[in-house]
Amino acid sequence: MFLSPFRARKVAALGLVILVVMLFCALFAPLIVPHDPNAMQASARLRPPDAEFWFGTDHAGRDLFSRVVYGARMALITGVGVVVIALVFGVLLGTLSAYFPNLGIVLMRLVDVLMGIPALLLALAFVVVLGKGLFNSMIAVGAIYITTTARITYGLSRKIASETYIEAITSLGAGHPRILWHHVMPNLVSPLIVQATFIFAFAQLSAASLDFLGLGLPPDVPSWGNMVAETRRYITRAPWLLMFPGGAIILTVFALNLVGDVMRDRLDPRFKDDLARW
Amino acid sequence: MGTFILKRLLSAIPTLLIASLLVFSFIHLIPGDPASVMLGDMADTAEIEALRVQMGLDRPIWEQYLTWLGKALQGDLGESIYFQEPVTRVIAEGAETSILLALFTMVLIVLIGIPAGILSAAFHGGKTDQVVSGTAMLFASIPTFWLGLYLIFTVAVGFGWLPTSGFPSVLESGDLSNLKYLILPAITLSAPNSALVVRLVRAGMLDTMRDDYVRTARAKGLLEHKVILRHVFRNALIGVVATLGFTFVGLVSEAVVTETVFALPGIGRLVVQSILRRDYPVIQGIILVVVVFYILVNLIVDIVTTHLDPRVKMA
Amino acid sequence: MIGTTRWGRAVRNLSAATALAVISGAAFAQETLKVAITDEPPHLDTQMTTATLTTIVNLNMMETLYAFNEAGEAVPFLVASDELSEDGLTAVLTLRDDVKFHNGDTMSAQDVVDSLDRWGAHGGRGKLLYDMIESVEATGDAEVTITFKGVFGPWKNLLAFVNGGPAIYPSEIIKDRGPEPLAPEENIGTGPFKFGEWRPNRYIELTKFEEYAPHDGPADGYAGGHEALVDKLQFIAVPDVGTRVSGVQAGDYDYAERITGDLYAELNDDPSVETIRHGAPTMPLLFFNSAGGIFKENFALRRAIMAALTPSEAMAIAAGPEDLWDAQGAFYPKGNRWYTEGGLDSFPQQGDPDKARQMAEEAGYKGEPIRFMLTTSYPIMYDTGNVLVQQMKDAGFNIDLQIYDWPTLVNRRAETDLWDIFETTHGAVPDPSLFTFLNDNYPGWWTSPEKKELEAKFVGTTDADERMALWTDLQALAYEQVPVFKPGDVYLYDIHGPNLEGLPEQLLIWPAFYGVAKN
Repeated sequence: MFLSPFRARKVAALGLVILVVMLFCALFAPLIVPHDPNAMQASARLRPPDAEFWFGTDHAGRDLFSRVVYGARMALITGVGVVVIALVFGVLLGTLSAYFPNLGIVLMRLVDVLMGIPALLLALAFVVVLGKGLFNSMIAVGAIYITTTARITYGLSRKIASETYIEAITSLGAGHPRILWHHVMPNLVSPLIVQATFIFAFAQLSAASLDFLGLGLPPDVPSWGNMVAETRRYITRAPWLLMFPGGAIILTVFALNLVGDVMRDRLDPRFKDDLARW
Repeated sequence: MGTFILKRLLSAIPTLLIASLLVFSFIHLIPGDPASVMLGDMADTAEIEALRVQMGLDRPIWEQYLTWLGKALQGDLGESIYFQEPVTRVIAEGAETSILLALFTMVLIVLIGIPAGILSAAFHGGKTDQVVSGTAMLFASIPTFWLGLYLIFTVAVGFGWLPTSGFPSVLESGDLSNLKYLILPAITLSAPNSALVVRLVRAGMLDTMRDDYVRTARAKGLLEHKVILRHVFRNALIGVVATLGFTFVGLVSEAVVTETVFALPGIGRLVVQSILRRDYPVIQGIILVVVVFYILVNLIVDIVTTHLDPRVKMA
Repeated sequence: MIGTTRWGRAVRNLSAATALAVISGAAFAQETLKVAITDEPPHLDTQMTTATLTTIVNLNMMETLYAFNEAGEAVPFLVASDELSEDGLTAVLTLRDDVKFHNGDTMSAQDVVDSLDRWGAHGGRGKLLYDMIESVEATGDAEVTITFKGVFGPWKNLLAFVNGGPAIYPSEIIKDRGPEPLAPEENIGTGPFKFGEWRPNRYIELTKFEEYAPHDGPADGYAGGHEALVDKLQFIAVPDVGTRVSGVQAGDYDYAERITGDLYAELNDDPSVETIRHGAPTMPLLFFNSAGGIFKENFALRRAIMAALTPSEAMAIAAGPEDLWDAQGAFYPKGNRWYTEGGLDSFPQQGDPDKARQMAEEAGYKGEPIRFMLTTSYPIMYDTGNVLVQQMKDAGFNIDLQIYDWPTLVNRRAETDLWDIFETTHGAVPDPSLFTFLNDNYPGWWTSPEKKELEAKFVGTTDADERMALWTDLQALAYEQVPVFKPGDVYLYDIHGPNLEGLPEQLLIWPAFYGVAKN
């Protein structure tokens, strides 16, 4: 059922496989890794990939393979966190604004203002104010996508709310929360699932950019962005240090995009335009 | 037309006020202050406090905001704490790099994104489409810092074809060859954005293809490439123009990372550095300028799309 | 198509401008030396900050009464001669009479007095000296008399140290100035280069000062006769170390400071660059909070922490190849005249987690969280700190690692109740009294009675042997009470293009660009 569209598109199936592998790494990282990802060893610094260290070691003598596997875990946590934050606040803002037009004008104006402030700068400001940390980093990246989610939800909800059957129910005396919950929300589910996939994908890039600028996760956390940031000074000496974590980011985002595309075609052919904007 | 523009500009004023207020209060929540950054490691608390007073940082925030707003209305964005120069000059200094980089990137995006999008839509479902769409998606998945680092590593250091970093002014020296400093950054920055444009052009065109008049044109026996270029693309262009407008604005923000990798003296890096230095006036000034820019581009996009499509009424 | 023609015109105008630039460029061929630095300095007022970046720029345009020579001695520089009274309480300095400021005026005794007064009133290092000074007076056109409250050993060293030091400005600029740093163009000094312009985010440019009056001695370290051999110096902020390296390799910059250890061997073999090692070490320092928190008056617990550490591991990871670091605990490197082995028995060669755990228990430690503040802004601090924290955790210490950007850390460490340990780095200082951990007001606040007593004796004598003996005792005390822990010395290095001539074999402390020519 769910898998049928993937059978038709082989590339998309590849995406799904990549995601499953990443998910497996994230969930079972401690069982997979051959070394402690944080164990530093001065005598084993900057080793090229070999039988013992599959991806080589970094400048602190840590096993890169183990770190990349643990990175999948950070990617999963960050992605889920950002999606939850963006959806909860975005949907709340969007539906409320659509349903109470007076409030909506004010809220949407606010959203417009926030969209005018460059996304990455907004995230930067959040991190500097809140300080570094896993949760703070999620809030910062989540904030970027709250506005877009709110906008999309607003547009969709307005369309739905203006449909005649809702007007009919309202005239029959159904309360606002009831209408929102039972009639508007279900119609939002499919497009929002698709939206969530893309947020998940781009949250990876935004979070990695923050890490790269030194304003993301605390540097002792083995995230892919941190690995690239920490080791970029060794690019001439040990190019593999950037290759593996960078490759992991690219693969994951690519796979998410492939899967998101298929899901969009399947779940939600109507709203292609809105969503095409990612 | 005139009243439309005037109305839009007037309605932008509250937006600007809210934005400036938000930014102002937000910035002052940041721990650490410029006085201690400037006096360095050895300064004692009394000296730092004295400097804070001298810089007016001890006054209540609302008072600081009103002072700033009053001056901003007269076009005076205050003085950079770090550079001790007018903020307007500091921003202007970074603007050349940012604007040239954005323009350069836009040229690449248009040259790559639009033809690839048309190609993809024209052969949609086929091999060409799969290759083009797949490549676009791959490029959209590459972190810009990663691409930038490897471009420096291979093209600039490995082959020595292009400069690695920095950007000497073109306007000042009039030396157009300095644009070569922007080639790698522009490629880096355009990669994910071209990918976006490819997808949008493709989606827009596929949508139009289903429209009745396209079918009519086809039925009339017009050649396929003529249908695609004359009818479909022209109509899809409206959406593309809007996207390009927003992409252009987005470039200013995305450039933060690219400017950091290539050590470019642009607005993006300036704002990150200013946050780290707690140079409040510069941060406020830049955000203000960027929001104004965003509003203007919005307006221009609206005017252009109206121009392209008479069916859209001006509200 | 209006658009096209307009563009056409713009391009034509620009190429005309290019042609013009080429012609004029040929007429005034100017040699510009480009230096890639890690960031823009906070300002150029060297009296008011100890920031190295400020010093690196400033060194080329501002001068001091005394300067350090190769041997690390403070010798007369803007001063022609000096005389210290028998009782050591009065110093009479005779100034050189030919010294010109960048604004064309000749340096007078009043300029010197006003410059010193501002530095003494507001400069962090200036206060160290002025606390011991009764008065500084102009007693002639070219004569300045300093009266001390008591015998004060390190006065010449303090007057010679450019970093956070007493650069001499014209009186009309410096008189009665507060702590607010001078504007860039106010940096009018007597050095071989003068301030040109500061293009924010682009570069700081200094230009050759044509009327420079050099000291008549031979160039010797930062002292002696200097000469500007290029027309312009440009300091360009390039924060990314990889970009600095590739920039020099590709010839975009002539000089780049602070390169990462692990590239050392590779760069030494690279014909397109030359490496230049810093002669003076940079030392990471872990400060313990003596005024609040868990370590207050608990010296035993600090020693327990120290016992858990293996500094060589941290140094190797932070600095790379072995010739760039030395895991040794003396506050001066071997070979320096201030090197002493006082207290070094307690310096841990190899960490012993079990012993540390036992010592901690005896010191009353029950697993309370220990707040360790670290910054990512400087790789050396971060890399060493990260390893040391791991070693503390391995010995059972409950470390709460808090990571901040530098300004936030500086702000937090000023509060006595927000932290237990923080890490910073300390540069080489010519006199032990300049160490921050000896400063009562510096975060960490080491003010135990034993320390105060020793310190008073130390600054209260000018006798070299006595000072050395007292410094040995001070260092031993520092290993007993552990106000700071020093895991070792890091030797940074810079790189430059092969076309630069006149740079020393290794840097004394900072690079200086007088006497450097570009071929």
